[in-house]
Amino acid sequence: MARVAIVGVGHSKFGKRSDASLRELAFEAYSEALDDAELESSSIDGSVVCSATHYDKQRSPAGVVAEYLGLNPKPTFNVEAACASSAVGLRTAWSLVSSGLHDVFAVVGVQKMTELSNKEIQELMGRAGDVMWESPFGTTMPSYYAMYATAHMARYGTTEEDLAGVTVKNRKYGAKNPKAMFQKPIGVEEVLKSRPVSTPLKLFDCCANADGAACLIVSNAERAKKITNKPVWVAGLGLASSPMALAGRHGAMTSFEVTKNAAKSAYEMAHVKPNDIDVAEVHDSFSITEILNYEDLGFARPGKGAKLLKDGETELGGKIPVNIDGGLISKGHPVGATGASQITSVVQQLRKEAGDVQVDGARIGLAQNIGGIGMYAAVSILRA
Amino acid sequence: MGFEKFGQVGYISQTKVAPLISYLQKGVVAGTRCKNDGKFYFPPRADCLDCRKSDMEWVPIESRARLVTFTQVFFGPPAFEQSTPYTLGLAEFENGLRVFAPISKDLDRDELKPEMELVLRPRHVGEGVFYQLEKP
Ligand SMILES: CC(C)(COP(=O)(O)OP(=O)(O)OC[C@H]1O[C@@H](n2cnc3c(N)ncnc32)[C@H](O)[C@@H]1OP(=O)(O)O)[C@@H](O)C(=O)NCCC(=O)NCCS
Ligand SMILES: [Zn+2]
Repeated sequence: MARVAIVGVGHSKFGKRSDASLRELAFEAYSEALDDAELESSSIDGSVVCSATHYDKQRSPAGVVAEYLGLNPKPTFNVEAACASSAVGLRTAWSLVSSGLHDVFAVVGVQKMTELSNKEIQELMGRAGDVMWESPFGTTMPSYYAMYATAHMARYGTTEEDLAGVTVKNRKYGAKNPKAMFQKPIGVEEVLKSRPVSTPLKLFDCCANADGAACLIVSNAERAKKITNKPVWVAGLGLASSPMALAGRHGAMTSFEVTKNAAKSAYEMAHVKPNDIDVAEVHDSFSITEILNYEDLGFARPGKGAKLLKDGETELGGKIPVNIDGGLISKGHPVGATGASQITSVVQQLRKEAGDVQVDGARIGLAQNIGGIGMYAAVSILRA
Repeated sequence: MGFEKFGQVGYISQTKVAPLISYLQKGVVAGTRCKNDGKFYFPPRADCLDCRKSDMEWVPIESRARLVTFTQVFFGPPAFEQSTPYTLGLAEFENGLRVFAPISKDLDRDELKPEMELVLRPRHVGEGVFYQLEKP
């Protein structure tokens, strides 16, 4: 299989960016990625713009983003897979580059959300559930994930304290990430006392809606070696789907089949096992999601996710550090940018550029990104 | 046309399974069965996944279902703000099919437990019709 590398990464500050528009956020990330790769736009063959376009006022944002980045008349188009948009963007760029159609392609994940209220956003998010059979009852993203939490707690005895532990861990690392929306640690009590959003999930069990962008410059092997002496190789890519309707899914609702399927493909393609992963970014849209992800990615046995966390194994210094850039819970979740943001953090780890949170000897990293209520999941495995 | 009556806020008006509305109005929760191979669908489908034929008949669904999981929603979309908190559930019928539905306000959240027996019954609210999970 043709080898494909990430040769540059860029990341805007995430948060309530009332100072910046969609195109300007995209520019921040893109420009930083070009600097990182020591390239100019003339070396970029085209762009794939990843966003869940219903949150942006701009329709078909690839048009305006490519224009603002100075990438006309090169190819550009949108890729949308809800919260997994830019992980699917990497898959798209990988295909374009490994097919030989293009040499160097930019993946631009971007989202401008905060011009809408959280209520308006949750109405849109609820419609990323089945609009015929579920949204008419008032679904929201937290409500869907909360149903997985209820089931996991009932079956395995996972507690609200366990869930709070995810937020406490991630906010601790978020405090070290200058690009994160929330840079203040938080205590268990504060999480437990926060107001209910959808039981058992409370305010601080949730990620926050945010504005932001992240960019990956993806290259074929030949060009990658000329561009940088630190290419990070795309070793495995998995993408899977699940019924959108919760009622269409099977089992105890204590795991995401979609993540397991995506992980299986990615592990097989990369010829690695969960044990081989040195550092991971997983989709902590909610505290419960991180615990399910540990289990679905094979870092813990079913029902043992909370124990893995309590044993400190997902901390820096543990067996498998997870979300030590702060995760979505600290960074905020500008839907279309999140996948590229996770991959950016993994790239920095594998290049030994993660500063305070560097995992010693990290060689293989994984990023897992769930789309919507789990109708899509993408797993990307990278190698130094 | 007509399907916009489904639920508290209907987003879709046009579908081949809109006749569900008249069944609900008559007090019957119904699914569809493929006339070719007998496969039963709930929620109803217009097209059979197994044989790709689209010749379906309407069949009432048994009402007993076992709760799989649930949540009580405190932060709802704008159109649901007046109703918070409301409870949503996922339940499984004996035949293995599942339904996503609101849970009746008559059930206290403390009473709810995965595995408990509930029944699915039609409901009217204003112009809208839907089904909800209730005490047996
Ligand atoms: C949880 C949620 C509903 C809260 O929204 P809200 O009630 O409108 O909250 P507000 O905007 O009024 O915020 C009140 C305060 O809490 C903070 N806040 C809001 N959401 C927060 C979150 N998830 N985590 C931490 N702090 C949060 C705000 O910054 C604000 O702080 P301030 O008073 O210091 O400015 C909203 O954050 C949300 O929708 N999150 C989930 C996003 C989602 O589902 N994403 C998709 C996942 S797949
Ligand atoms: Zn059939």
